[in-house]
Amino acid sequence: MSVRVDRPQQQPQRVPPWRNVTFLKWAAQLVTLVGVVGLGYILVTQAQENLAARNIDVSFDFLSDPPGIQLAEGISTNPDTVARALFVGIVNMLRVTVAGIVAATILGVLLGVARLSSNWIVSKVATVYIETIRNIPLLVQIIFWGAVVTIGLPDIGFDTGPFGCTEEVDGCTGWLFASNRGVSMAWLFPADGFWQWFSLMLIGIYVSVRVYRWRIRLKEETGAETYSLTWGTLTVVVFAVVGLWIHPIMGFFGPIFGALASLFDGLPRIVVQLVLAAAALGGAAWWIKRFLDSRRTPAGLAKLTDDDIFRIGSTAVAGLVGVFIVFTFTSISSFILDAGRDFFEVAESKFDFLEAGAVFDFNKASLAKPGNFVNYGPTGLTMSKLFFPVFVGVTLYTAAFIAEVVRGGILAISKGQTEAGLALGLTRFQLLRFIILPQAFRIILPPMGNQYLNLAKNTSLGIAVAYPEVVAVGQTLYNQTGATIPVVTLWMLFYVSVSLFISAIVNFFNNRMKLVER
Amino acid sequence: MLKRLSALLVVLALVAAACGDDDAATTTTVAGTQATTTTAAATTTGGGGDGGQAGEGILAQVQDRGVLRCGVSGAATAFSEQQPDGSMTGFDADYCRAVAAAVLGDANAVEFTALTAAERFTAVQTGAVDVLIRNTTWTQSRDTDVGMDFGPTTYYDGQQVMGRTSAGFTGQSTLQDLEGAVVCTNAGTTTEKNITEATAALGVNITLNTFEDFNQVMDQYLAGACDAVTTDGSGLVGRKATQQPEGEEWVIFPPSPISKEPLGPTYLQNDSQWADVVNWVVFATIIFDENGVTSANAADMQANPPTGEIDRLLGGEGNLQGAMGLADEAFFNVVSQVGNYDEIYARNLNPVGLFREGSLNASFVDGGLIYAPPAR
Repeated sequence: MSVRVDRPQQQPQRVPPWRNVTFLKWAAQLVTLVGVVGLGYILVTQAQENLAARNIDVSFDFLSDPPGIQLAEGISTNPDTVARALFVGIVNMLRVTVAGIVAATILGVLLGVARLSSNWIVSKVATVYIETIRNIPLLVQIIFWGAVVTIGLPDIGFDTGPFGCTEEVDGCTGWLFASNRGVSMAWLFPADGFWQWFSLMLIGIYVSVRVYRWRIRLKEETGAETYSLTWGTLTVVVFAVVGLWIHPIMGFFGPIFGALASLFDGLPRIVVQLVLAAAALGGAAWWIKRFLDSRRTPAGLAKLTDDDIFRIGSTAVAGLVGVFIVFTFTSISSFILDAGRDFFEVAESKFDFLEAGAVFDFNKASLAKPGNFVNYGPTGLTMSKLFFPVFVGVTLYTAAFIAEVVRGGILAISKGQTEAGLALGLTRFQLLRFIILPQAFRIILPPMGNQYLNLAKNTSLGIAVAYPEVVAVGQTLYNQTGATIPVVTLWMLFYVSVSLFISAIVNFFNNRMKLVER
Repeated sequence: MLKRLSALLVVLALVAAACGDDDAATTTTVAGTQATTTTAAATTTGGGGDGGQAGEGILAQVQDRGVLRCGVSGAATAFSEQQPDGSMTGFDADYCRAVAAAVLGDANAVEFTALTAAERFTAVQTGAVDVLIRNTTWTQSRDTDVGMDFGPTTYYDGQQVMGRTSAGFTGQSTLQDLEGAVVCTNAGTTTEKNITEATAALGVNITLNTFEDFNQVMDQYLAGACDAVTTDGSGLVGRKATQQPEGEEWVIFPPSPISKEPLGPTYLQNDSQWADVVNWVVFATIIFDENGVTSANAADMQANPPTGEIDRLLGGEGNLQGAMGLADEAFFNVVSQVGNYDEIYARNLNPVGLFREGSLNASFVDGGLIYAPPAR
């Protein structure tokens, strides 16, 4: 029997504000916010004042001016505006980055495995390579490769080799040319029908994955050997081969892209602005909803802490700021419209072939004499004397680091795993495929992403050999226009976007790969 | 990810706010800080900084200091070259000495400062140098926007192209002959813009490779990776004289340059007294040349002046130099210690193959552009 004791209900005492935890927390948050915003305001106004006093322009108006310069190589060598010139620089940077990432990954993985090889020569060659390359500054290597091309290789002429022209006349073709103007080689290029064939291949890969899974399921159910890998591979091959003749069936994408292009062309800007604004607000609302859901317990919504409320508030403000930006900077929306129209127009032209044509063009390199000087012709894959040192430099350098990452990942798998696998009677291949690599890959991926980021940023050293990537072009442009601060701002925005994009891809795979914890 | 995005948005918003109401913000700041701004302006225009008292001109500062601070290139063949022993020689360096001789009576009272193209105007604005004689082209924007004033042109230069005779170039070649060529030059210069404009106007297709400095350009050219190089004609002549290898013949074309590059002394704007001094030092060397007054015969000429003008310039009648704040003997010191225009030119530029005859730098009596107003 319990005695119910009526306690006198406690009167909520008035707590003075300086001892009220809630008040203090909010005050601290607000003071910090005001401090940060105020500091930012002071910095910006001070900078504006000083810049104005020195006649330094900080507006972005110069982007639509004619640049007055021409670029050594790129998608257009005579850009008509400063913005276009910078864009050519961006494309050049991405060109060397993508090529470098692919080449460095292949070379790096091979080297990393080679260094672990039980063959003494192979492992020592890999060791010497790695230890040499990664201990020399990249700038020195790029300058070295630049000197190799310009000084080490012979003058260009119709007799340029090593696998050059048979007849030394204008327009003659050969397999591989190396001269002080760069390297040009025979290459397989996508032809007219390529994109239609390629879209068919995407379907083929999807189907093949389904087939592969189906065969595996069958094996699990019946226990009989179902040759899942063979089935999957054969499906892709069938699609690839049959696709060579039937790829025009994908031509129906052409009119779809055409319709999208005219949609973007005719769409009033306000629609895009509204969509973007809705996306900003919707994104903020979605985040808040998800956040609240995470605070939900079986007993209902948990009490939100002040910190939670502050997070929700900041997200809402960020959404509103997004709306403000969309309606203040109308050029963002115009750019999206133009870019969308251009993209779909190009896409339409790629799906415009109703008869089965070549999917690939195999072109040999050529030498041409358009004026009074011999140079590489448009056929063939040409790495100019400016592109070559940057590409070779960043590839060899990053490959050395990737090799170490790979080696580290493989060595990190404990020896017990190998022994257990062998004890189970797995073959060496099965051991590698099912035991070592899946675990090693999980360790390798994050540092690999770092190496890709380094490679992307290291391409800016191309300025040393005058490769016209975005930093070199930007520097020339601000020398010509005086718009240093806007150009530097654009550089930073660009490199941040590229880096975030690369890490987003790596994180995506990393999330798929990591151990599922419950 | 979203948190990062929202942070980015906040930053963007700050930037946007800063850029968005540009005009409003500028107006308010100007109103709010008028006092500071004006003081800064006064310091800059009045004294050229460095503790110069307000209202004290550059001439008085130089005379008080007893040494002239002169900005030069230090790496321009025959114009201003730093010698291994640390001394500075060249056409521009000699004009620094001429100004020092006029102002201080001693041609060696010069402190040379080697400046890059990017530093040079800042050095004048902050008063780090009193006068800039650094093969600087007189342009409208530099004269107005950048806050410089320009003295009389001492050397009329122009952009040209240099190629090999083995590639079919001659001294009479034109820009059309560059069709299909790889042309190299420095990045971020007027040179780069000029060649772009000139070839675009003619519809000539070239590949332009631009490098950070001209030594790199020459390395590429020597290795055969460039078919031709382009910069100011005087620079090309200097490079040809020093770097042309045996068994190769380089030529400079087209005969009439593709741009105008008038080079001369540059100083801070709005100091008329200092401007007069620098200008008249240059004019005096030109007038002495026109009248045959040289460093060798200056003393004789001072004793027996052939004309009234020479008498006035060498410190005789009229007290013209005194009115400028200089000693009467100022220009006598210039010609006796440094020489007249022709002597300065011949001493520095003839060795690299630049001659006055037939060029724009001939005296006006010989059909050139070197001309000075009368000293009366």
